[in-house]
Amino acid sequence: MTVPAFLNTIEQTGFSIWIRESESVFAYYFILVFHTIGLSLLVGTSALIALRLLGIAPSLPLLPLRQLYRLIWGGLWLNIISGILLLFAYPTKALTNPFFYLKLALVGLAVWVMMSIERRLLGDASDVDPAMLAKARLLAVGSLLLWCGVVGTGRLLAYTSSYILYGKIM
Amino acid sequence: MNFAHLHLLLNHFPIIGTIVGFGLFGASFLGDGRHTDLRRSGLIVFAVTAFVTIPAFVSGIGAQQMLAGDPVVSAVIERHEGAALLTLWVVEITGALAVIGLWQSHVRPQPTRSTLIAILLCSIVSMGLLARTGNTGGDIRHPEVGRGENATVIEGTIGAVVHAFEPTPDKFSEAMVASKWWWAFMMSMHFIGLSLLIAGIGILNLRLIGFAKQLPIEPLHRFFPWALAGLGINVLTGMLAFIGMPEYYTFNAAFWFKLLALMLAGLNVAMFYVLGTFERVKRLGAGEDAPFSAKVIAASSLVLWFAVAISGRYIQLFQETISTDLD
Repeated sequence: MTVPAFLNTIEQTGFSIWIRESESVFAYYFILVFHTIGLSLLVGTSALIALRLLGIAPSLPLLPLRQLYRLIWGGLWLNIISGILLLFAYPTKALTNPFFYLKLALVGLAVWVMMSIERRLLGDASDVDPAMLAKARLLAVGSLLLWCGVVGTGRLLAYTSSYILYGKIM
Repeated sequence: MNFAHLHLLLNHFPIIGTIVGFGLFGASFLGDGRHTDLRRSGLIVFAVTAFVTIPAFVSGIGAQQMLAGDPVVSAVIERHEGAALLTLWVVEITGALAVIGLWQSHVRPQPTRSTLIAILLCSIVSMGLLARTGNTGGDIRHPEVGRGENATVIEGTIGAVVHAFEPTPDKFSEAMVASKWWWAFMMSMHFIGLSLLIAGIGILNLRLIGFAKQLPIEPLHRFFPWALAGLGINVLTGMLAFIGMPEYYTFNAAFWFKLLALMLAGLNVAMFYVLGTFERVKRLGAGEDAPFSAKVIAASSLVLWFAVAISGRYIQLFQETISTDLD
């Protein structure tokens, strides 16, 4: 497979080089820190909501859980922005790795599940419908598994790349 | 101060802590066996001991580097390290069981019988293994206690039996780093553990500060065991990673900063319960504001746990930030 040349163009921009090579603590690792904080907010809050739907802490009311979605979407935006910056630093490394696309697909599915939970289960009509309850458990399990998949494939990106930079095979 | 000082400073705490914890815990069964305060104290001491055992264990690698070179000393050190590698897990399991016992005494009148028996057995095994780890450690620079100048490692009968269960340090390290898939799995679990900590402690702290105030405290606190499970996953995967690349972490300033933040975060959690803050906030319902003292503890908890995560992320950048030239 030929690696598209525009990835090289991105890597040679001053900004990309700065993120990668600067010895400042505010460069690459600073962005990674934000990616980690975003992950912990996004996955941690989603896990709490999923566990509640699976029967942990049944006395916790469902409706106010909607407020926690500010953490979920805040974490997601933090990770979209920090993720784009990380992609800017190592575009070839990420885009030539199949796990990168798998991770994005899993993020998309997990976000869809979290939106479904917010819309269908934490809505104003909090009447407990048995059919809904079965769906709640399915969505909760789905959310937990998908987020584990996101974390796992994300971590694999660090160890499974074929290229580190354009033209530089690992 | 160097790593030898640090190791000598820390390495008595696991032994003393386990003995004191055992004394308190064991005494709680005497008489009518209903000394719940004694039992609780014993369990807290076991949990604290398991926490402090982490820096005690990891400081050993730096201390070892200071004595590198002498083949007799190296063999004695390797035996001590093997003993420590076995003891570590039993001490950590004792601490984890003690935390489970403390949680059980929170949600029911007292811990279950099986938890109590498991804690008793593990703490007894801990004491035996700690005695051996202490002895083999003492042999490293106290030749007058045992053998002469040109001694090799000689095991007694009990020592030989225990030694059969002790990992060989180099092989243990190799097993951890042999496969990138295993390493990636451990690191993934480490991030999942972090997320569970946020689910069980982070969100409770945010609620105490005033975020999402419609959530009542007591039901939210039901997720606390999930944070403990996350912490357990992270201590396990973190220690396995350390064993995989001990020098990489030992001479890394970010790693030691992370451990310091972790110890303070643990202290913060202990204060939340021991100072009675939890008792004051647990009945807070929807919309009710937590007292200022609780907000201070919650805010410092958030700062400390994120300090642990952030310094962990900086370990890769801070390679070889502590001099390996220790003279």
